[in-house]
Amino acid sequence: MKKLLVLLAALATMALILSACSESSAEGGEDAAKEVNLLFNFATNSLDPHVDTSYVPLRAGIAETLVYLNDETLEIEPWLAESWSSEDGQNWTFKLREDVTFQNGKPMDGEAVKASLERAMTDNIAIKNALRIESIAVEGPELTITTTMPFPEFPSELVHPNTSIIDVSETDFINKPIGTGPFAVASFTPGTAVDLVRFEGYWDGAAKLEKARFSFNEDANARSLALESKGADIVFRPEVETVEQLEAIDGVTVESTSTFRVHQMTMNLQRESLKDVHVRQAIDALIDRDMIAETILSGHAEVATGPFPSSFSFAPDYPEKKRGIDEARKLLEQAGYTEQDGVMQKDGEPLTWTLLTYSARADLPLIAQVFQSDAGQLGIEVVIEQIEIPEEHMAANRDWDLTTYSNLTAPRGDAGYYLNATYHPDGALNFSGADDNKLTAMIDELNQVVGQEQRSDIAEEIASYVDEQMYNSFVLHPNTLVAYNSDKVKNWTTTRSEYYMLTNELDVE
Amino acid sequence: MIRIITRRLAEVAVFLLLITFVSFLFARMAPGDPVLSILRVDDLSVSAEQVEQLREDMGFNEPLLVQYGEWLVDFARLDFGNSYISNQPVMDMLWSGVPATLELTLGGLFVMVLVALPLGSLAALYRGSWIDQVSRGLSLLGAAVPSFWLGLILIDLLGVRLGWLPTMGRDGLHSAVLPSITLGLAISSVYVRLLRSSLIDSLNQENIRAARARGISEPRIFFSHVLRASLPPVITVFGVSLGSLIGGVVVIEVIFAYPGIGKMVVDAIRSRDYPMIQGYIFVMAILVFVINSIVDLSYRYLNPELRLKGKGRV
Repeated sequence: MKKLLVLLAALATMALILSACSESSAEGGEDAAKEVNLLFNFATNSLDPHVDTSYVPLRAGIAETLVYLNDETLEIEPWLAESWSSEDGQNWTFKLREDVTFQNGKPMDGEAVKASLERAMTDNIAIKNALRIESIAVEGPELTITTTMPFPEFPSELVHPNTSIIDVSETDFINKPIGTGPFAVASFTPGTAVDLVRFEGYWDGAAKLEKARFSFNEDANARSLALESKGADIVFRPEVETVEQLEAIDGVTVESTSTFRVHQMTMNLQRESLKDVHVRQAIDALIDRDMIAETILSGHAEVATGPFPSSFSFAPDYPEKKRGIDEARKLLEQAGYTEQDGVMQKDGEPLTWTLLTYSARADLPLIAQVFQSDAGQLGIEVVIEQIEIPEEHMAANRDWDLTTYSNLTAPRGDAGYYLNATYHPDGALNFSGADDNKLTAMIDELNQVVGQEQRSDIAEEIASYVDEQMYNSFVLHPNTLVAYNSDKVKNWTTTRSEYYMLTNELDVE
Repeated sequence: MIRIITRRLAEVAVFLLLITFVSFLFARMAPGDPVLSILRVDDLSVSAEQVEQLREDMGFNEPLLVQYGEWLVDFARLDFGNSYISNQPVMDMLWSGVPATLELTLGGLFVMVLVALPLGSLAALYRGSWIDQVSRGLSLLGAAVPSFWLGLILIDLLGVRLGWLPTMGRDGLHSAVLPSITLGLAISSVYVRLLRSSLIDSLNQENIRAARARGISEPRIFFSHVLRASLPPVITVFGVSLGSLIGGVVVIEVIFAYPGIGKMVVDAIRSRDYPMIQGYIFVMAILVFVINSIVDLSYRYLNPELRLKGKGRV
């Protein structure tokens, strides 16, 4: 029996040793090359820039688009295209840079760009829908693009990563797309990482890094731990709860940057109580934004005054509003409601709202609960209902009053996308059921106007009108968190669009 | 043998038809369709009309049975379609993830055997002693701890503090160590208890006492008689719990960024990517069937009585 015991003990020890020692050479070689490992929060199984929904080829500096969204001015700038113009908003001329080659040495010329855009539209129905291109004609370095209808925000749509320009005469789009960016694909492990090498012939000056790794992990805790273990140098969206812990580490910097996203309270304008603007204003007044930003998002958010972050040229200066429970009560009184026996009511009917929320964005159900509790203090019963896919549910069911919803409002620096989708009667995200002739006419006008400045003016007017009518109420713009090893990584910029990550400027010490 | 194989094949055909039908119905009866995901309404301008048009084009307005019929026709031609989201052939995507998932499953099983065999054996051999208590305590603890938490603890300990092992990705065997340990520890608690009780049963059998009386050494009795006799029930349970084992790999895959099919299907379900979901169910059904058959065969091998009778399914 003793022998047996010894044998089993030996077996167990061996198991432990085996599992612990099977690899000790994983580290090392780190300082040999100038290299950075960026850990991102969405995995991808394909590097095809035209369909990949994680936008890795653009983010990893493999491919580039015709136009670039400047993060500071929030304006559209030349990138692979040198300039563009249109008189009628339907016929567009794009002049391409002439000194750009793909990573395989072939020139990025008019024909290549045309072929690339055409492939993007064939393989990606969403892009085909968004670009509305009817024809593309090539003459030297000039591209003449005709859209199916006047489409003034066309250049801004070309910021979209799925319109990246690649050499489509190469065929392994999934594993090795050939773009014009500062980094070429060395190897790709779907779902895990893409390894990159410097493209010496990059038109804007070869990258400072020799190599880079763009890896994925969808678990926020695991990402934070990866930075701690120095397995990653730059980590996107670490767990909010670990931020303090990360900041306490020597040499780790955490950046909190506002985004183009807004958390909003979508109102169903077809519901009786919400037809009254005073009631909608009361809802707006009830939302304690500062408290929500501080407690639910630990301060990593910008309080929203409208759909667009205040730095956009088309975000108006909204008139100062009174907020709080007393203000809400006053507004409800104007709408004919009175509080009796602790119940807010009108003509003997108590005021109740059904509030939809969903867990895909963890902060939204919490915002719903805060609102429920605040409304409760006014004698309004708020019934919270959890739904799964908000877009589906809101479109198919109309028996709800409010929804906590999150939306990108100007992903490509133009207000057209959000205003059309959300407030035009024909918009796919018009869950409020907004059908206001004045508003529709203003959006239609926006859709005719070419030129960023003029468009901004009209968009600003529309935003002001939406605020006046309080068609939706805007809560906050959540921040993006990026933590990185600032002892090692140099020239890192957290862009608000989150489109541009690995650049030729990025460096290590 | 040929008869058994033919019968198995017929079984698997019926089984596949049934499971694909049920999964098809469940997937499509759930609210939502992939049109909004395909059109990326979250960041691209789309009109309600375009949404409806695509819905029509993709046949989502057809009756469910018609949709299933169309799917079945494609399926019969071994055409599983392309993912709605990535536009890649579903089977290519899934097969590229199968090795990683199998690797983790096998790695987890390996760790499970390394842990459960000694712990279960010691507990049975020293029944009632402190060894037994400790082993039972450990297995109870193992059952109570969620695997994602265990995974994060292991990452923190072995990856961050000690820096021994890579904490994510799939770069060769060493990166499979941590996820395998996590999975192995998570599932071993069940088997420690099972093995213990099965061993105790075997140890009490007449033939063991007889062997002892004949003076055969203890290790030999244990390894060639007791252990062998106590394995069939363990393997039976293993066969039954295999599906949940592979399902459990999903959590591990996410934490360790291990690119298996579990992670893929989670994304697919989120975006209602029907071809991916159907493909996954098909691949899983085949995997479970194959591994079950292996379990079955090993069961026959361990239990000669069944081999002779020619009926082995459990």
